[in-house]
Amino acid sequence: MKVIVSRSGGMAGIRLTWEVRVEEQPDPATWADFLNSLPWDDVTDSEAAPDRFAYRIRCAPHEVVLGETQVNGPWRDLVNRVRAANGM
Amino acid sequence: MDTPHPGPDLHPHCTIVPPYLLVRLAKLDDPRFAQAAAAARESLLRDSQIRQLRGGEHPFTYSGARTLPARTPGESDRTISDAGGQERLPGRRVRAEGQPAGSDPAVNEAYDSLGATQALFWTQFGRDSIDGLGLPMDATVHYGKQYDNAFWDGERMVFGDGDGQVFNRFTISPSVIGHELTHGVTQFTANLQYEGQSGALNESISDVFGALVEQHTRGQSSAEASWLIGDGLFTDQVEGVALRSMKAPGTAYNDDVLGKDPQPGSMADYIETDDDNGGVHLNSGIPNRAFYLVADALGGNAWERPGRIWYNTLTGTGLGRESDFAAFAAATAATAAQLHGIGGAAHNAVLQAWVTVGVMTGRE
Repeated sequence: MKVIVSRSGGMAGIRLTWEVRVEEQPDPATWADFLNSLPWDDVTDSEAAPDRFAYRIRCAPHEVVLGETQVNGPWRDLVNRVRAANGM
Repeated sequence: MDTPHPGPDLHPHCTIVPPYLLVRLAKLDDPRFAQAAAAARESLLRDSQIRQLRGGEHPFTYSGARTLPARTPGESDRTISDAGGQERLPGRRVRAEGQPAGSDPAVNEAYDSLGATQALFWTQFGRDSIDGLGLPMDATVHYGKQYDNAFWDGERMVFGDGDGQVFNRFTISPSVIGHELTHGVTQFTANLQYEGQSGALNESISDVFGALVEQHTRGQSSAEASWLIGDGLFTDQVEGVALRSMKAPGTAYNDDVLGKDPQPGSMADYIETDDDNGGVHLNSGIPNRAFYLVADALGGNAWERPGRIWYNTLTGTGLGRESDFAAFAAATAATAAQLHGIGGAAHNAVLQAWVTVGVMTGRE
């Protein structure tokens, strides 16, 4: 299972992507439980705002696009975990 | 050569107030603002009819604008706050208008560049602050931890410190601060939808006036200017000179970590993407280059004829929320013809610029 987080936008407009292969992590079961617990189907469209980041998060079969202000709670936790796994 | 247009803008069509501000005005319970509040209430009552007439595309004109409280038009009213590394706004107030500089460069840079932006819009275009009505300019610095961004949240400018590896603090570049403030100006005028081509125009207009803030402050002519957006924002570890180049889109950086600057400079390289709200920071390279080409063709100071053409287009009635590149090109050409005559140097420069970047065909 693979998790891909792409961040686009921001004032710089530079796209960055972080990726995690769950089975290669030291705690894959914890990762899997966490991913399954995310509210994938509850994401609503957000209004675009100048220079804010936009996040596209993919973990088959799921894919969501979140505005920066929507990256809270478990979504923020996910982004931070994926970035940390990439040494960011 | 145009005569600059100093002093207040006396054309009421430029004083456009969004509905949320009208609601605030309408609720004012202070006798000093009674006339403004009454005008706001009247405007709100007309709102639905006017929006129907305009297809819901534009905020409407507020004719009671000049009844707001006495204040010397054109004077800055800046307040800088410090978020202290948190993501909560506005943060702790650290410098108000007229207070001396302190030891924090981010605070000083934000304060100075807000003033430089006000100076450009007031002295060259007669616009009093973001809304044309002297709206106080508020900014917050030190937002978040290693936050790699700056943005306009609809009410204030917000600046991160950068991560120190790729990005320096975002207040370091006057063009970035001018860029963010111009998002406010756009919000109060054409209110271009932040997606696709209208979003790329929204971005480009912020880059244009961000560049003009820097050039105007430094007294640089079009030929002397760098035409870079975000000069100094990258650390020494990045192979790049800035975020974007208006003169040569796609050449601002080429770095192992960031990749190559992806901005196109003509419609032949237009990028179709779902990211970045449809590539608003990417395809903005096309109208950015068009503006540079106009400035290069006309020479002199870019904030004069080219800036005035772009400003009048932004604040006039020729744009809708969803205007695309072609509509914007036609509107700038019409503005140039109106200001400087059909077939004049400015009109021809605008037409040729849009042909060069592939937005016009030359048969318009």
